[in-house]
Amino acid sequence: MIWLTWRQFRTQTWITVGALAALGVVLVVTGPSIADAYDAANVAACGTDCGAAISNFLNQVRTGAAGIVYQLASAVVYVVPAVIGVFWGAPLIARELETGTHRLAWNQTVTRTRWLATKLAVIGAGTALAVGLLSWAVTSWAYHLDDAHGGRILPLTFSTRGIVPVGYALFAFVLGVTMGMLIRRTVAAMAATLAVYSLAVISMQEWIREHLVAASHVTNPLDISSPELLMIGDNDEMTVIGSHSLSDAWVLSNQTITHTGQVFTGPADPQYCGPEAAVRACDQWVNSLGLRQDLVYHPADHFWPLQLAETGIFIAIALLLAGFCFWWTRRHLT
Amino acid sequence: MSRPVLQAEGLSKRYGRRLALSDCTLAIPAGRVVGLVGPNGAGKTTLLHIAVGLLPPTAGSIEVLGGHPASGAAQLAKVGFVAQDAPIYAGLSVADHLRFGAHMNPGWDQRLADERIGRLGLDPSQKAGKLSGGQRAQLALTLAIAKLPDLLILDEPIASLDPLARREFLQGLMAYIAEHDASVILSSHLVSDLERVCDYLVVLVASRVRVSGEVDDLLTNHHRLTGARRDLANLPTGTEVIEESHIDRQSTLTVRSTSPIDDRSFTVEQLTLEDLVLAYLSQQTTHPQPVLETTP
Repeated sequence: MIWLTWRQFRTQTWITVGALAALGVVLVVTGPSIADAYDAANVAACGTDCGAAISNFLNQVRTGAAGIVYQLASAVVYVVPAVIGVFWGAPLIARELETGTHRLAWNQTVTRTRWLATKLAVIGAGTALAVGLLSWAVTSWAYHLDDAHGGRILPLTFSTRGIVPVGYALFAFVLGVTMGMLIRRTVAAMAATLAVYSLAVISMQEWIREHLVAASHVTNPLDISSPELLMIGDNDEMTVIGSHSLSDAWVLSNQTITHTGQVFTGPADPQYCGPEAAVRACDQWVNSLGLRQDLVYHPADHFWPLQLAETGIFIAIALLLAGFCFWWTRRHLT
Repeated sequence: MSRPVLQAEGLSKRYGRRLALSDCTLAIPAGRVVGLVGPNGAGKTTLLHIAVGLLPPTAGSIEVLGGHPASGAAQLAKVGFVAQDAPIYAGLSVADHLRFGAHMNPGWDQRLADERIGRLGLDPSQKAGKLSGGQRAQLALTLAIAKLPDLLILDEPIASLDPLARREFLQGLMAYIAEHDASVILSSHLVSDLERVCDYLVVLVASRVRVSGEVDDLLTNHHRLTGARRDLANLPTGTEVIEESHIDRQSTLTVRSTSPIDDRSFTVEQLTLEDLVLAYLSQQTTHPQPVLETTP
């Protein structure tokens, strides 16, 4: 049965090995230029003036090939799990059902359960290995760049680093198998896999991930010297958002609150903030209100707890789907 | 008598509101070549799929070679199956298919497989998707045979083949049966396809088994009577009318009777197997009980 799985999957295996090797070469070639720029900008020993060193470093990288490779590599890690679900998972059973070859396979001296178990185990292991390698390579290659870009904890970077891509890929693969089994048409199963996978991953990124680990919470006096936003609307309604100095953090909410803990909404005093007021009078007035800045965020050290939780969730869903596949194959697949 | 290769009791399969197989009761003895005949949609494929474990029955029970269909590797090893249209992996070569068979079946006979492929003149490196219909059927049969099953089940194996390919296919099948002590069940919608090879017949019409038995017994017990038109009530006892047709003053009857017919007013003729099956196929479908010829 392992032979059959390998024989049916040989072409895909060589394509994958080839693509991984090509990417590996690109990363090995461009890697030193990042290290050189990092050393030249002296980021490691920047001490107090890291902002300048980092922008110096990023400017150097952007002018070289590594800047493009950085965007491209992240895109590849982001897309590969979906590709695996669509091109490995969905056709795996659907194509057999479509061409009737399951009737051939199921009448050899191999039970359906073993037939499915071997396919899932062999290709699932291949998936985990390929995506694990890919993610490891990109994560280590982009290490300094990720730090300079605000950290690995930021949502899009987070989804393409560490171990979550492996969770996504295993989920996408088993989802594809399930869709193929239920829909029995390869192309329709591919489309359904892509739709459901995208929905799941986007939901995780947009709504679920931030709750997987309890977020940090901090309240500081509002510093209005360089606000992110200071806006006065109709009826003197006022919105003030202060900037924050949290580096390498994923900020979930940044609100300005009054001393009673309410979100500050004005009203603005036209005497200081109106059209005829003196320059900076409004700032001074806001400062005198004793407002505080309320931040909810995930710091950089939540990276691994969040990675583990998210990967665990996707692997658990993949296992549930696999269990369903076994049940369906034994009871309902004809 | 040895244990039946296939024993079914009240076997039924329902798809939604449609009955594909209803109340099928059969006991097929070992060592026979069984023809399963019936028009398209009669339930032949459903019955065979239940027998190989591809489909679960809705009601009733079935035993194949004393076991539950597809209940485990041991059961799977005993039954060889070629599905309708002989599915094969289009992207794999002929040689790959033999490797597939060898890897998937502990009882695989590589010599037998190689010999058959050689005799058929198939190029081992050819992609199976490029084979002709006849070659494809032969490859599928080779896969089913070389695992050395006790029972070979073939679903419409020759329906899509040209006459020459049909003859070659059946010759190959008969050669295998002659060498190995296997039972075979093969289905067709034409009895003429199977006449030369089968010695046991099951006729399936509109989801029901209409008649089943040894071909010799069936031929001995069925007669065509031709004579002056008269009331059918005065036929000898033990005679069952399968089909009747009347013109002006003459009646032609197809009857089943276990005792010889010595009614002088009729001309009694032997039936061919094809006539016999046609009589059952054209019979009113309200016939309540299937005819089960049992060997005494």
